[in-house]
Amino acid sequence: MIVVQTELPISIGHAKSKRMINNTEVQELNGWLKAVANSRCKIAFTHLFKFFAPKIQRIARSKFTNEAQAHEAVQETMSNVWRKAHLFDADKGAATTWVYTVMRNVIFDLLRKMKSNREDNLSDDIWPIAESTVSDDDIYEDHLENKKLLHGIESLPEAQQQVVKGFYLMEMSQEQLATHLNLPLGTIKSRLRLALSKLKVQLGEDHD
Amino acid sequence: MIKHHPTFELIQSFVNGDLPASLSIGIKLHAEMCSQCQKQIAQLTEQVADNAFESENSFAVNDNDIFDFESIISDITESDDIDDVSVEINKTINFKNKAYPLPKALNNVSVGKTANIGKLSRARLQLDEEEIHTNLLHFNPGGGVPEHTHKGFELTVLLDGSFTDHKGEYTKGDFIMLDGTFTHQPISEKGCLCYTVANDALHFTQGINKLLNPIGNFIY
Ligand SMILES: [Zn+2]
Repeated sequence: MIVVQTELPISIGHAKSKRMINNTEVQELNGWLKAVANSRCKIAFTHLFKFFAPKIQRIARSKFTNEAQAHEAVQETMSNVWRKAHLFDADKGAATTWVYTVMRNVIFDLLRKMKSNREDNLSDDIWPIAESTVSDDDIYEDHLENKKLLHGIESLPEAQQQVVKGFYLMEMSQEQLATHLNLPLGTIKSRLRLALSKLKVQLGEDHD
Repeated sequence: MIKHHPTFELIQSFVNGDLPASLSIGIKLHAEMCSQCQKQIAQLTEQVADNAFESENSFAVNDNDIFDFESIISDITESDDIDDVSVEINKTINFKNKAYPLPKALNNVSVGKTANIGKLSRARLQLDEEEIHTNLLHFNPGGGVPEHTHKGFELTVLLDGSFTDHKGEYTKGDFIMLDGTFTHQPISEKGCLCYTVANDALHFTQGINKLLNPIGNFIY
């Protein structure tokens, strides 16, 4: 039988059942990372270094042609782990996934610097290391906010309502609204301004 | 509703960090609008990370030929500084007097001046990736690109609005990767904003349109 070796031996659906790093190991790594974040613990960092650095070294060697660059990738990744540990959130993923992201980003930026001579460090914008995944709470609050806002809009005088709904809910431009409602642009602008200040008061943003 | 997604192979290369910045950004822009691909990327990243760091792949930890552990660790931990997340910046970009929010993935990309031809506007994204050119392309309502042929690839991520070609309608969020030699004629009835990546200038194919070949270079 011929076994075709793909780069990824596990298929997506089995990700959970066939984890290569066992749970206790993950818990331990998570714990060290949290200790670095919370108490700048050098012992915990040494554990992390000994676990990750040789593996990062191996990966970096496959991406860079010279040893010095591979070495730089290891140092830069581990120093980012030290300086950014507080951005790690164990509720959103394992320490391994987080360190992988930090490493992949460092390598990406270094390679880009070599190839395109650009030091724009785009990686953190492409793969954020503190990704704010939308939790159910956020969605709930958004709903509440929206509900409050919609309620506020409904209580505005009809003329202002029209403008606010067109501008925010239908995303028309002020110019489009002026044409659509057959009103001078200045009127649209002043109605929008009036409506917004009323809404702000209602939503309690006038306290600061 | 989004109908066009990146292939699994592309997502895999994205997760591995093997794609050029232009295509990586394209996938990121799509994923921000597509929860399905976002989920797939998250799962794959977890898997690839596990693979990368599984214990069997480890060298002997006290292999001092590779590292002088102690001195590197003490260098790193000497400083107590922490990196704060950069403050969220909300940039906008203007096309024909309409302001669009600039996607966060483009926050640190330098954007060239906007150039206009008829109903088309183009802002070059200066990624400096040799023959790969990346642009933000804006169609005013009714704007289109006359029938043209590509060699190489052309990626379009629709950031706002919609356009159609002979294959149908594309809407906000669609990730349209065309590869090889193909001919098409996109037109946007209501206007749209696209992120485009291409590695070859377009060539106009039909009669009088051949005169438009300078537009091909304009869009590329
Ligand atoms: Zn998708």
